[in-house]
Amino acid sequence: MSAVTEVLQQVVEGIGSGAVYASLALALVLIHRFTGIVNFAQGELAMISTYVAWQLVSSGMSFWLALPVTLAVSFVGGMLVERIVIRPVRNSPELTTVIVTVGLFIFVNAMAGLIWSFTVKDFPQPFPDGGIDLAGVRVDWSTLGIIVVVAVVMGLLYLLFQHTSAGLVMRAAACNPASARLSGIRVGRVLMLGWGLAATVGAVSGVLVAPVLFLEPNMMGGVLIYAFAAATLGGFDSPVGAVVGGVVVGVAETLAGAYVGVIGADLKVGVPLVIILAVLLVRPQGLFGRAAVERA
Amino acid sequence: MSEPTTTAPTEAGASAEPDFLKVSGLHAGYGQARVLQGLDFTVARGEVCAILGPNGAGKTTTMRALSGMVRGQGSVTLNGTELLGRSPEQAARLGVAHVPEGRGTFNDLTVEENLRVGAHVRTGRWRRGRAERAVVAADLERIYDYFPKLRDRSRQTAGSLSGGEQQMLAIGRALMLRPSLLLLDEPSLGLAPLVTRELFEIVRAVNEEERTTVVVVEQNAQLALDVAHRAHVLEAGRLVLSGPAAEIREDGQVAEVYLGVSVRAGKNG
Amino acid sequence: MRTILTTLGTGRARSLRAALTALLAAAVAVGAPFYFAPFQVFQLTMVLLYAVALAGLNLLVGFGGQISLGHGAFFAAGAYTAAVMLDRYDSAHLATLPVAAAGCFLLGLGFGVPALRLRGLYLALVTLSFAVFLPPLLKRLEPVTGGSMGLTVDKLQPPAWSGLAEDQWMYLVVLAVTAVALLLARNLLRSRVGRALLALRDDESAAEVMGVRLSLHKTLAFAWSAMFAGVAGCLYTWVIGFVSPDSFSFVLSITLLAGLVVGGLASLYGPLLGAAFVMYVPSVAQDVSDAAPGVVFGLLIIAVMFVAPTGLAGLAGRARDAATRRLTRTAPAAGRTPEPAPTTAPAADPAPADAEPVGAPPRTEKE
Repeated sequence: MSAVTEVLQQVVEGIGSGAVYASLALALVLIHRFTGIVNFAQGELAMISTYVAWQLVSSGMSFWLALPVTLAVSFVGGMLVERIVIRPVRNSPELTTVIVTVGLFIFVNAMAGLIWSFTVKDFPQPFPDGGIDLAGVRVDWSTLGIIVVVAVVMGLLYLLFQHTSAGLVMRAAACNPASARLSGIRVGRVLMLGWGLAATVGAVSGVLVAPVLFLEPNMMGGVLIYAFAAATLGGFDSPVGAVVGGVVVGVAETLAGAYVGVIGADLKVGVPLVIILAVLLVRPQGLFGRAAVERA
Repeated sequence: MSEPTTTAPTEAGASAEPDFLKVSGLHAGYGQARVLQGLDFTVARGEVCAILGPNGAGKTTTMRALSGMVRGQGSVTLNGTELLGRSPEQAARLGVAHVPEGRGTFNDLTVEENLRVGAHVRTGRWRRGRAERAVVAADLERIYDYFPKLRDRSRQTAGSLSGGEQQMLAIGRALMLRPSLLLLDEPSLGLAPLVTRELFEIVRAVNEEERTTVVVVEQNAQLALDVAHRAHVLEAGRLVLSGPAAEIREDGQVAEVYLGVSVRAGKNG
Repeated sequence: MRTILTTLGTGRARSLRAALTALLAAAVAVGAPFYFAPFQVFQLTMVLLYAVALAGLNLLVGFGGQISLGHGAFFAAGAYTAAVMLDRYDSAHLATLPVAAAGCFLLGLGFGVPALRLRGLYLALVTLSFAVFLPPLLKRLEPVTGGSMGLTVDKLQPPAWSGLAEDQWMYLVVLAVTAVALLLARNLLRSRVGRALLALRDDESAAEVMGVRLSLHKTLAFAWSAMFAGVAGCLYTWVIGFVSPDSFSFVLSITLLAGLVVGGLASLYGPLLGAAFVMYVPSVAQDVSDAAPGVVFGLLIIAVMFVAPTGLAGLAGRARDAATRRLTRTAPAAGRTPEPAPTTAPAADPAPADAEPVGAPPRTEKE
């Protein structure tokens, strides 16, 4: 295997994990766009969705039937979280909302442990074994599957936001809630929808990553850090940025793990830290963000 | 743009419905601060009504109380329907279109998308029948006829427009609601005199052609009085003067005492 | 005039009462290890050292308004500094404390510089990812840190002259350090630094206009805060005698924030209450299930933010205010009745005089 194909191999795998980060980052960005909140519990919501999928599959449902059911449950769950937990602190200072989502993080994490215990569970791999060979680069069906699923989700979201009147209304509400209300838009419902959508998109990342990481309540903790890096890199108000950022972070992580000796497999989690710091110091609004981070 | 079932009034006060908007005993404020201390006035259907007064008199608060942005006590009825106690979105659904101070356009959206959002109440979110689309398209054309500049920029984002164009867009979006009551809060704020003049001419045209009832709050009293049929002067949350716009404009003492005050106060604001 | 006198009187009484309370508290605190069983003394020791960490976090979050989700990392840095010194250089226990404090202060300064440029939210992201990154880093630095096996070091031993048991001695030493740390935190907040911090939290740009040197104070807040966490970590090593990367996962950081919030942000004794929570809630709830502490903590944090953003300390403070209000209301009234009514005082006079103290405290509470 030549050095070039070896690098390409790493890139392909990076894109695979990047797709997962992109999906969770997209969930973070959606919520930030709609409510101005960075949801520290996003990964945990995805984790609990994954448990729902696991429960359905282990009770005999086929994966491809369990997936839409899980997504629907996540959608409703996300809306309920907004209504019950977030709405009461909607006009509070940022410190309060951040702490509330941290509280939600701890609560959801523990609830999963309470219901499903902290023992690691095997999550079925929905994609067939094996893969294809592209000019010496091996692409597993599972990697390809992840990329395709995430791409489909992104495509659907794009259609929703850019080509439906519901999407238009949602964008308007995110952009200027006061004017949206004066135009007759029920902003409260839009915010619920936004959280529902975000929970759905996040659930996709959880379900896709579970076969790789194995299912347990702390599964998404690490993924969340990568998703934060992806969202920071792309810009917290840019869905496109979240996707690009996710892929970049995924590829950077794999390449750094493979080629930078000091980092190796164990210190890869330093990569998102470096990316977050670098972006915030050099270009705080991210690659695609417009609104600059408020500076001191 | 009300339904053409009643005869069109062309003169101020000639309306068959003098109590189209009826405000009685309106109190409103923010937290501890009581801004409005009991307002009573009416606006006839098809009329342009100007609300004048110095800064802090409660003009903007009046508008906000009418559209549900602040809570108020007392009574405000539009065509017999109580408006107080409703949220802004409910008020909008009842035909109240409020163009807030500082415009409030959707800056990430294109001009055309802004206008379509304005029609959201009428088209509904999920129903997008062919007939509806045709109606919205016709309305868009109508708005573009009033504001030709917006037509040229229909694919641009609202954030890239000049201040005057944004104000036009905000008014256009409000008109897409086909409002029975149009509330304009300080449309001249931050705009060049020439642009302001143009804007008020369009408001006049809209009022004449669509017979939309308009309540306008304005620091530039002269300009507002040129367009308005009737005017109310507010001071410290109370109505101190009401009458036909022409009379108030002619009344030298009024101009000196109240409008002079408003012009001076306008310099700080 | 009379109201002024009464205020002065109550002011003196209050300071006297405060002094007595402090004395009593000190007596109870010092006496505790001679009354409780060793295991309970150990738990109290842990409460005290967590209180030091929370007092530091409180400087940053409660008073500075900046969010750190990575204070467990500074705690770990302090703990490892002490452990490495004890392990490799056979240092005396007491010698590790200033080194851990200074080291973490510097580390905090280093963090404070990028923190300067970040709004609270982004600071939370950075500190959280640092907390996640630290355990694998500690594992990697195996030659120094002992890797994932961690380091086992000597606990703090009582000197022979004291005649105390190990747990009692550790408790008393930790108590002394905690007392100094809490006093230092209090004085910091009453100093110019504290006033600057409060001004910054409430309105950054206004504070800057008023001449508060924003960058300096924000960086210093971070440094002080990290130092407190480091001191707590150092005490942890003395008491536990063992450090490993897994003791300092990011869960510790989140638990610290949770404890602070539940105990009471921006309150001087909130950290103590919060530390008790951090210590006792898990040990009580763990009997129910491994997950129960998390469920309780998560629910409590959300509930506190909903109903009492000032935390337990705030609730207690509110209750105390209500009690004092009732006292002050009855006291002047009792003093007034035997006096013949002065000619100038109409019957309605006492009411407005009372109305002010009743109305005033809630107003400050809201801010």
